[in-house]
Amino acid sequence: MASSKRKHGSGQTCVIPGGFSVLSLKFSSDSAASHSLYVKEHRVRAQSHSGRPMDRTLFVLNVPPYCPENVVKELFSQFGSVQSVELKDHPSSSPDSGPRLSKIFRPAEKQGFKVGYIVFQNASSVSAVKSHAFDVPLVVQTKERPVKTGVQKWIQQYTESFIPKEKLQKDVDDFMMDYDKRKEKAEEQQRKEAEEQQEEEEGWVKVTRGHKGTKARPHSEVANKKTLQKEMKKKKRKELMNFYTWQHKNTQKEHIAELRKKFEEDKQRIALLRAQRKFRPY
Amino acid sequence: IQPLAHVESEDFTNKTLTSSDEEDHNEAPTEAKRSKKGDAAVDDSNVLYHPVKLSRSDLYRPPTAEELNQLKEAESLFHCNLLKMQMEELLKEVALSERRKKLIDSFVQRVTKLLEAVPETAEVEISDLSWLSGSAKVPFLLLPQVTKGKFHMAPPSSVDPIGSYPLGTCIKPHVVVDLAVTIPANVLHPKDVVNQRYPRKRALYLAGLAQYLASFSDLGPMRYSCLHGNRLRPVLLLIPPGKDSRSSFTVRLHACPPPGFFKPSRFHPLRNNIRTEWYTGLQTSNSEGIEPPTPHYNSSILGDLLPKAHLQFLSAVSSQCPAFADGVALLKVWLRQRELHQGAGCFNGFLASMLLAYLLITHRISNTMTAYQLLKYNIFVAKDPDSSAPSLAEFHSAFQVVFVDPSGHLNMCADMTACTYKQLQHEASVSMQFWDDPTVDGFYSLLMTPKPMIRTSDHVFQLCELVKLQSSCKKLNLLSELMDHSGDYIHTTLPLILSLLQQGLGQRIQLLTHSLCPDPEWSVSNEPPKYKTQPPISFGLLLRPELATSVLERGPPADSPKAAEFRQLWGSRSELRRFQDGAITEAVLWEGESMCQKRLIPKQIITHVLKLHADIPESCLRYVGATVDDVIKKGSEVPSTGEEESLVVVQAFDDLSRKLWALEDLPLSITSVQGAHPALRYTQVKFSVLFSHLLICHMEGSGKWPHDRFAIRHIRAAFHIRMGELLKKHHNYSYKPCPTHLDVWKDGLAFRIQVAYHREPQVLRESLTAEGMLVVRDNEEAQALEMATIHKPLLTSTLHGLQQQNPCFGAVCRLAKRWLAAQLFSDDITEDTADLLVASLFLQPAPFTPPGSPQVGFLRFLCLLSTFDWRNNPLVVNLNNQLTGTDYTEIKNAFMASRESLPVMFIATPKDTKQSMWTKRAPSIQMLQRVMVVAAESLKVLELQLMDGTQIQDVRVVLRPPLDAYDALIHMNTNQVPLLCHAVDPPGVNFKRGVITGNAKASSGVLPVIDYNPVSLYLTELRDAFGDLALFFCDPFGGTVIAVLWKPKAFIKAPFKTSQASARSVEVTGDEAKTFPNVSAILEDFRILGKGLVKSVEAKTEKWSF
Repeated sequence: MASSKRKHGSGQTCVIPGGFSVLSLKFSSDSAASHSLYVKEHRVRAQSHSGRPMDRTLFVLNVPPYCPENVVKELFSQFGSVQSVELKDHPSSSPDSGPRLSKIFRPAEKQGFKVGYIVFQNASSVSAVKSHAFDVPLVVQTKERPVKTGVQKWIQQYTESFIPKEKLQKDVDDFMMDYDKRKEKAEEQQRKEAEEQQEEEEGWVKVTRGHKGTKARPHSEVANKKTLQKEMKKKKRKELMNFYTWQHKNTQKEHIAELRKKFEEDKQRIALLRAQRKFRPY
Repeated sequence: IQPLAHVESEDFTNKTLTSSDEEDHNEAPTEAKRSKKGDAAVDDSNVLYHPVKLSRSDLYRPPTAEELNQLKEAESLFHCNLLKMQMEELLKEVALSERRKKLIDSFVQRVTKLLEAVPETAEVEISDLSWLSGSAKVPFLLLPQVTKGKFHMAPPSSVDPIGSYPLGTCIKPHVVVDLAVTIPANVLHPKDVVNQRYPRKRALYLAGLAQYLASFSDLGPMRYSCLHGNRLRPVLLLIPPGKDSRSSFTVRLHACPPPGFFKPSRFHPLRNNIRTEWYTGLQTSNSEGIEPPTPHYNSSILGDLLPKAHLQFLSAVSSQCPAFADGVALLKVWLRQRELHQGAGCFNGFLASMLLAYLLITHRISNTMTAYQLLKYNIFVAKDPDSSAPSLAEFHSAFQVVFVDPSGHLNMCADMTACTYKQLQHEASVSMQFWDDPTVDGFYSLLMTPKPMIRTSDHVFQLCELVKLQSSCKKLNLLSELMDHSGDYIHTTLPLILSLLQQGLGQRIQLLTHSLCPDPEWSVSNEPPKYKTQPPISFGLLLRPELATSVLERGPPADSPKAAEFRQLWGSRSELRRFQDGAITEAVLWEGESMCQKRLIPKQIITHVLKLHADIPESCLRYVGATVDDVIKKGSEVPSTGEEESLVVVQAFDDLSRKLWALEDLPLSITSVQGAHPALRYTQVKFSVLFSHLLICHMEGSGKWPHDRFAIRHIRAAFHIRMGELLKKHHNYSYKPCPTHLDVWKDGLAFRIQVAYHREPQVLRESLTAEGMLVVRDNEEAQALEMATIHKPLLTSTLHGLQQQNPCFGAVCRLAKRWLAAQLFSDDITEDTADLLVASLFLQPAPFTPPGSPQVGFLRFLCLLSTFDWRNNPLVVNLNNQLTGTDYTEIKNAFMASRESLPVMFIATPKDTKQSMWTKRAPSIQMLQRVMVVAAESLKVLELQLMDGTQIQDVRVVLRPPLDAYDALIHMNTNQVPLLCHAVDPPGVNFKRGVITGNAKASSGVLPVIDYNPVSLYLTELRDAFGDLALFFCDPFGGTVIAVLWKPKAFIKAPFKTSQASARSVEVTGDEAKTFPNVSAILEDFRILGKGLVKSVEAKTEKWSF
């Protein structure tokens, strides 16, 4: 770190091979040491989701654990107004799928260093960040913006873990209502399809492909395996064992081979133990 | 390396085959042995186990008759031919090498030649020692000083090797070659047997030899010793000169009378050969000629007359039976591991050979048996109580244990106490129990595991200051016995002390053992040591756990004739008591409120009995039964090691579970309420109202449950709310519902109820592929859930059952876990793993018996940790005895086949034979190695402290981890650390915050702060943030330091990657960017993340090398 600082001089931006600009970040103004944030404009091959427009999104690496989303948002507001901040454990292409869960039902997050996607209002802010001087550190905690860490934070967490019973009940009810609705919809869909498969008056069945990704009958891996096994069993039952002389001979041969193999195995085990000097009784 | 190792093993195989052939004919097996020795030295030490791959042609080639026989023999004789090979290897290890035999032979020859040239001296009175110069003292305690008779030195009439060496039963280590030096007949007089004249002459003769030999430079320093601790029978030890000679071998010179010099009938056990008048020096009043018999004195002289005859007898027997030598060698190893092989009254190699010979000539075993079978039958016979005592009633009246030699005059077990014999029987019966048990590694338990007393016996105590035994001699009125033992007051009183203890402890113990005094050794230029310089005698108790802790000793009814006997035994402690059943009997009540006090009741008994009857003051006793328990002891008024607290928690849990079952207004019914917390299986280390106890509540399966992971999560939350409401309504418990659990405050204890649905793991595993196919894939989330809701409750209830059978199981777990935590290993060896390890000690104690006290259990836990071969063996914990022998083989085979991919510490249970789920995450191989090293060191320190009263007595030494091995230390503010009072060295000032004073049950209105542990929250944050760069260690029970160890791999400079940029800085060289950890910022982050908790961060920069 020290060497790169010298190289680029004061008041300059620091860009490393790979296209990342380095910003330094201090917890408070009197902190002695600083972390480095690595920032770059967000760029992916295929625009997969609309939450991260390529021109206005900044990709940030190495966001320390004491910077939650709101802090990051405020930190970067000095470069232009921030539309949204997304913090992830790893660089990932898309946000979570699945139904929306209320905050209390989400599983606890890992509190480590994060990767951030910051979406600005204007594309110019991205380049403003990238050209920010390396030796002017961003400061997390200021007088106006106290950040709780350590004991204070844990006490706050503990207090927050008391959820009013009514709120919890309401969340549950809301979700279940939503779930029931979704389920009903799916059932409706299935019923419709089933109806379509019904015989028409003249005994003809109309075969349709249905929607993409759905099948008339849900197949499962387990069911597939079961049928396979059944067939194998049937085959086996038909075979005769120990009927012919050669079969009998074979089983005997197998038995001796088995004994031999065990003998060899034991011997090898002993050789191993011997090599480790495991036979010294004292 | 691989092909080389393969070739060598091939080579080795051939040799095993040849040697096993030769074994039966006993023809020149030595040659094969020798060449193999060479092999072993060359052998690469890091041979790895590879699954055997035999080519098809090897496996299926037509078998020869010989090979078939061999395979069949191996299969039928031994339940595993592995055992046969193991025994062969062991015999090779202990056998003497040819090189050493040659050395011995030439040395013996040299000594013999020297001895034949001993010059004659003039005849003097026995008590005149002036002819001896200062270089050699007489190896005899001359008490009383004077006895009549003349003595002069003369060259020995013959020098012959006797004992194990000429028989070929001599084994390593401590190779001793016995030489019988026959004193010429003209030095002795037939009347010399009386009044110690002969023993003194013998000692003088040895002193004369020592003086003569001292002038020759081709002998190492000479020492005296005495045969089996018997001071009447001194021997002279010779070693070859040179540095490493001590380890190589020792030649022992015995001085013997010429064969047949004394008439054997003089040594009848009822004859007297020491006159009271001479011994006491007083003119006794009862000079009517009724002198007390001196059986021990007699047998000690008789023993000198017969060694050559014994040698002839044994060599005749062994020439009949080819495997005799090997059988004796194995038996000797077996005895040595049980500490029975040396000292006064031991069951030495000679007795072992004699027993084997007896069995052979009485045709109890046949001449053609192999060494393995010989050992087996020998142990089997030793188990049989009276077979080794075929003798006359007269012998029995004089000795405790009788085993008569072929001549019919000598009791070879004259010095053995009944307790030693019982110990031998006990060991033999234990050995037989696991001999054929396919679930036990018989070889290791039988021959490879040492059984020191401190690890074998539940309680151990020592008699220090043996000089005090003189007064007990007087008290017990043992003058004639003292005379018989020629003043050896220790061995005079020992049998009586033992019988006293046996009486006092009665049904509380299974077995009483005592250590055998080691043979003293002293330089020839020193006076023989006094009896009082002997090391303390240790006694071991094997307790009956169900009876040992009872506070009441109920005696006979007051009017029965036995009452007087009872009163006599207990003295003033005995009092008349009236019992609930109306009986009025004599009884003794001992003090003890809590379990840890009750465990020390044997100590009270022993102290009382010895003081009362043998005049041994309490200060002489060193009781080490529960010394280690101190580290988990809490409470000032009534100290407790946690049994009582556990019981309170379990009872509260039972009550709560009953109330949960009774709840009626739940939409679905409860199918099970199970504890999933260590406290609910009695193995919790800390007891604090500040932490909750987890229990799992399974709800019935129903179509109403949704088939969606998020929906199930919400339904569970709904159950938590409902349950809490109902408990509040019916029982007025405070509660706090959360999505994941429900906290309930009941009678001053917090319980955390977690609702579970048995199909939830299945739902978590299912997923739909893009084609709409339903696939089941195992994942971590499902495994974690199964672990929490199925396996942990099951383990808890199983171990709860184990506790019911073994009352000290919980305490052993607490000790073990306290040690692990203090040594900062609790994150690597989790509570569940530790409990399983301890359970294995109880379920498979071979070669021991299940631990009967927390201390012995803890010592064996350390021993298990440090010696178990985790690399090559799975540890099978056979909970509820569900696994059979075939299961064991299957587990072992599966383990061997995929060793590389399995956890380093592999623990199999009946429910989990393939995966070892409890140790999957941790420990890593490095940590396991460290645990093993620390455990071995702790065990060494502890055993030394416990067995040696002169060491510093502080068992907490093993709980203080060395902190200098770590790279950084984070010191915490003590006022923020919960459980501070449970620390290894609790601070003087204690913070009482958060502790409910007074009656906790009354304050049921408000929920107190529970499960708030800043240290663990801090640790989680640290591990989340810096887990890739460093390891964090902390003692969860009141530790105030977090130790940090950098991971060396993380500090190798790595090219810049988006996935690896956390907490790293960049260094640019040319157009390459490399990253490395930003240490200064990380250290500052330690402070920031733990604000308020962290006092200081101590970076040991001098240790870093990057």
